[in-house]
Amino acid sequence: MEQEAETPEQGQQEQKPSTGAEIEAGQEADAAVEHAVGEVLPIAGALPVLNLVEAEPAHKEPVDGCEESLALERKHPLAIRWMHWVNFPVLFTMIWSGLLIYWNDSDNAYKHPHEVYRVGVGSLTLFRFFPDWFYTNRLWDVRYKVTTGLGYHFFFMWLFAINGVLYVAYLLWSREWKFMVPQRKSLKEAIQVTLVDLHLRKGLPRQTKYNGAQRIAYSSVIVMGLGSLVTGLAIYKPTEAHWLTTVLGGYEMARWEHFWLTIGFCAFFLVHVGQVVLAGWNNFRSMVSGYELRPAEEPSIEAKRRKF
Amino acid sequence: MKHADEVKRESGRRTRRSFLVGAAGVVGGYEFYRWIDRANGDQLLPYPLRKALNLNGKVFGEGALAPTYDVSKSVELRINGNYGLKQDLVPESYRLQVVGVEGAEKRPGYVADVTAWDYKYVAERAKYEGHDTKVAPKDAGGPAAGQATQKPGGNAGSAKDMNKGAATGDKTQAMPVAKPDGGAQAVGPDAPPKEGPGPQMTPEFEKAFAAYREARKDKPERGQEEAGESDSTLDPNTPGLLLTMEDVLKLPKQELVTQFKCIEGWSEIVHWGGVRLRDFIAAYPPARNDKGELPKYVYMETPNGDYYTGYELSECMHPQSLLATEMAGKPLAQMHGAPLRLHMPIKYGYKQIKRIGLIAYTDTKPDDYWTKLGYDWYAGL
Repeated sequence: MEQEAETPEQGQQEQKPSTGAEIEAGQEADAAVEHAVGEVLPIAGALPVLNLVEAEPAHKEPVDGCEESLALERKHPLAIRWMHWVNFPVLFTMIWSGLLIYWNDSDNAYKHPHEVYRVGVGSLTLFRFFPDWFYTNRLWDVRYKVTTGLGYHFFFMWLFAINGVLYVAYLLWSREWKFMVPQRKSLKEAIQVTLVDLHLRKGLPRQTKYNGAQRIAYSSVIVMGLGSLVTGLAIYKPTEAHWLTTVLGGYEMARWEHFWLTIGFCAFFLVHVGQVVLAGWNNFRSMVSGYELRPAEEPSIEAKRRKF
Repeated sequence: MKHADEVKRESGRRTRRSFLVGAAGVVGGYEFYRWIDRANGDQLLPYPLRKALNLNGKVFGEGALAPTYDVSKSVELRINGNYGLKQDLVPESYRLQVVGVEGAEKRPGYVADVTAWDYKYVAERAKYEGHDTKVAPKDAGGPAAGQATQKPGGNAGSAKDMNKGAATGDKTQAMPVAKPDGGAQAVGPDAPPKEGPGPQMTPEFEKAFAAYREARKDKPERGQEEAGESDSTLDPNTPGLLLTMEDVLKLPKQELVTQFKCIEGWSEIVHWGGVRLRDFIAAYPPARNDKGELPKYVYMETPNGDYYTGYELSECMHPQSLLATEMAGKPLAQMHGAPLRLHMPIKYGYKQIKRIGLIAYTDTKPDDYWTKLGYDWYAGL
């Protein structure tokens, strides 16, 4: 990915909204959520550029037979992109090696701890983690690889932790966290976004970088990452860090929490990838290149960023 | 306002550049993963992973005290693993071999060759029908049953429980000593050295090995489990002490209710009784080496050498490291390691060796059964 240093200024010049009304719009973006303009923005990409042409045709020049006013918006800073993509294989390795470790106790006549890893009420179990086909099937076989699992888990935990700490540190230092931390209206927005995704509603709330659903999801997953580190430490070093293990409810409880956090990551991953697919190329590309093509009339991320 | 196709060109430039860098990143990441996965094995674990485990052992240390519990919460520990215990030991024939003790010659119990001591076993193999197998008795249809065909056959096979975790992994095939069926036989004294059909040994080695075999001629075979014989096992004619349980029980008695944790993923609170290892070490202190330093390590093994463990001396000095003689207020059962086993709440169960036959102080990092099969040497909690 390219050097970041030169880009902000460049970006500013190129994309700076020229009319007072647009700057106003940027400032008001947060307040303007209520009147979710029907045709404004899908969740985070795939821009209906042509729609917007009609909205404000004043200073458009004809391009390739259609009129539009495009801006190249700096969406994701370089550091965030790197750490996001580093985290992907690292977290995958943690989950995969964790599964190798987890299996180890199912290969046991007692099968005691696994009794609690289930979905069910009382004596009714709907699903047990995991059925046999999950451990061994045509695609993978996770049995009898516990030493590989332990080896990778306790190597990659460092990469996961370091990357996570750097990520949070960068968010704080760069103030990008202000795009990410849920706001008072985020829950309402998240419900609206969900309704739109379920085709029960039309018109997404206006957003700058992230909508309410994204704010909640991305912030939660960071807290979950911290949770995995903390519960993981409580399991890995229940004597050295016994105070922590005790706070988490004991050794078995910490294992249980660690397990469900992992399931949470998997659920996050599925929804995240699904939404990225729905949002489309322009949005996905911005996580690689950092830049997104947006109608110039949109509230500018960069303008907002500068005000932090 | 910029021209839209200018903006698009700019976007294209950025896209191409960043995706190239991204592709390089993917290749780099993949190479990193391959470097680990294909690295030379250090005791069945790629050495970067082994190094990380050793580093973690140092980083986290083992100084803290494990939490203790009320006796009412304790249970009798489940039996899990029977290496070195497959035959009941005749209690009267038990002696604890101690090697490397300061001024050993002047102490009672000194013998010129501790390895000459003959442990007596009840002829019949210990009848043990408990939960000591990975194959669930009532769950023949599970994945474990499918695996059973790959298991070492015979009686020993069905009892080899936790070793499957390491040994049937994909790396196992590379392990020279662990072959299903007869693998145990291949590592007896009559077998070729562990390197197997590797490079030719020097005549000196062949000679020394022949002498070793001669010396062990009428001794039972050792190291019959998957990890094979320990490299740290004593050479014949090693002088040391032969202690009786009476000697051991002269030390102050200590009780402890702690949580026992198995690397398989389960844990149980257990009530232990015995003597503290640090008291034992104080009573039988290690001899200093030529440089005047204390030895760094302690090595233990079962009387038949089938199971063996290594520790740092400092870990043995931990106040909760216990030479256990009792569990749940009763003398230890044979399958729990009677008459003497180790309990170390700062370590996983696989370091808590049952039926200790030898305690040796050494400056060389000792062999360790599960470490040899790819597990962490420290196993610290």
